[in-house]
Amino acid sequence: MRTVTAELVDVRFGYGAQPILTDVDLTLQEGEFTVLAGANGSGKSTLLKLMVGLLRADAGTVRVLGGSPADPEVRRHIGYAPQGLRMATSLPVSVSEVVAAGLTPSKGLFHRMGRKDWTKVNEAIDAVGLGNLSAECLFELSGGQQQRAILARALVADPTLLLLDEPTTGIDQRLRPALAEELRRRADAGATVVAVSHDPDDFHKVSDRILIIVDGRIEQITHEEFHTHLEMAP
Amino acid sequence: MSRLFLDFAIRAFLAGGAVGVAAPVVGCFLVQRRLSLVGDAVGHLAFAGVAIGIAAGLAPLGGALVIAVAGAVALEFLRAKGRLAGDLSLALIFYAGLAVGLVVLSSSGGLNASAIGFLFGSIFTITWLDVAAIAVLCVFVVVIVALFYKELVAVALDEETARASGLPVDLLNVLLVVLTALLVVAGMRVVGLLLIASLLVIPVAAGSRLAHSFLGSLVLAVAAGLVATVGGLVAALVQGEISPGGTIVIAAVAVFGVAMVAGRRAARRHARGVAA
Repeated sequence: MRTVTAELVDVRFGYGAQPILTDVDLTLQEGEFTVLAGANGSGKSTLLKLMVGLLRADAGTVRVLGGSPADPEVRRHIGYAPQGLRMATSLPVSVSEVVAAGLTPSKGLFHRMGRKDWTKVNEAIDAVGLGNLSAECLFELSGGQQQRAILARALVADPTLLLLDEPTTGIDQRLRPALAEELRRRADAGATVVAVSHDPDDFHKVSDRILIIVDGRIEQITHEEFHTHLEMAP
Repeated sequence: MSRLFLDFAIRAFLAGGAVGVAAPVVGCFLVQRRLSLVGDAVGHLAFAGVAIGIAAGLAPLGGALVIAVAGAVALEFLRAKGRLAGDLSLALIFYAGLAVGLVVLSSSGGLNASAIGFLFGSIFTITWLDVAAIAVLCVFVVVIVALFYKELVAVALDEETARASGLPVDLLNVLLVVLTALLVVAGMRVVGLLLIASLLVIPVAAGSRLAHSFLGSLVLAVAAGLVATVGGLVAALVQGEISPGGTIVIAAVAVFGVAMVAGRRAARRHARGVAA
């Protein structure tokens, strides 16, 4: 029996009067790799934000890692990569600084980054194939390279739960299998992985199941149904 | 030239140097978070504090400190609640702070050259006690930034992800504006409350033109701040009659101009290096 990493029961959420998620039930287990699909605006990003505590459900229960996602101690074990680059761009920021920021919560206040921490940062950068660009300014890189840096930030602290919102956006097709393999490796090591994707083939070979949000509810679908859904999408 | 080594000049170099180093340290986080105008807003509020302090017969520094810190925390509270959107709200705070200061000073008979010195700086008239107070404030600000550096960077880069990862983002935001308030008070005798925000922003803009990282920007911004304050003071001392507050800011703008030109050349070289 595998440990339950996250559990959502009868969860409802809406922005104002507009319902997005209605009566969502979802259980995520350790070592499980889930692909989350759905049309634009269907509630995929909202679901991740509920699990990471950035949003609070209107009704129902959200339990993550045995506690509330509002608890900072729980959040420290979650690796979250939001959709696109949300970063302030006024000053230059190196790739290694961005990735190191992912280690900050687990280090705790007053603890400086040591040699071991920088080794972890470099390993995470290598894992996404940016090893030769770690000292470069993030904003001077391509969109795909920036996305890989954001992914490395989510991976660097070896989180128990990985919530990745469209992690392959902008990334070259030929690099995607290696990233998918890296995420599978994390799942095999015990992490729970949830990756939002619009591409049925991104994680086809490495994922355990595909969930889709339709009309505010979650359904499990097959790889073929994912393709069909895309063809029917407006 | 002999004026450069007189007691009042040495006091000015020490106080100006301290502010020139500490201001960009805080300014980097403000600029990165697009909060550059917060320094201006706190400066204007601090003038009201100076006026209240003088009218109450207290030290202007104390009044400025209390009002600047309280105002900065209130500003952050309003910003976090989304009630400080746009530049209109900040403009209202600028005018209100200045107006309250003028009304309180004029009604208490305290509107004189000494009070105006807080607006435009009066670094050549500061005492050793002032130097000590400025140094303590600046050292405190730099030490606190060093202690919370990685947390402040994480929030400055991406507030949402920092919050999602469990960092106490609201507390860190309050910490940043309080440090800004302390810095504004430290700098009010150096370049004045109307110009102190320039030392929070211009050296940072200069540093960012030459660096490829946040830490690199910070280090270069500190160097730019130091060069600007020392250069501005030297210019004012040599010329003898011009305002040191003005020359420091003009020197900072000149440093920015040099950094902009050098930054373009460095960027071209770097691009060639990456392509090779």
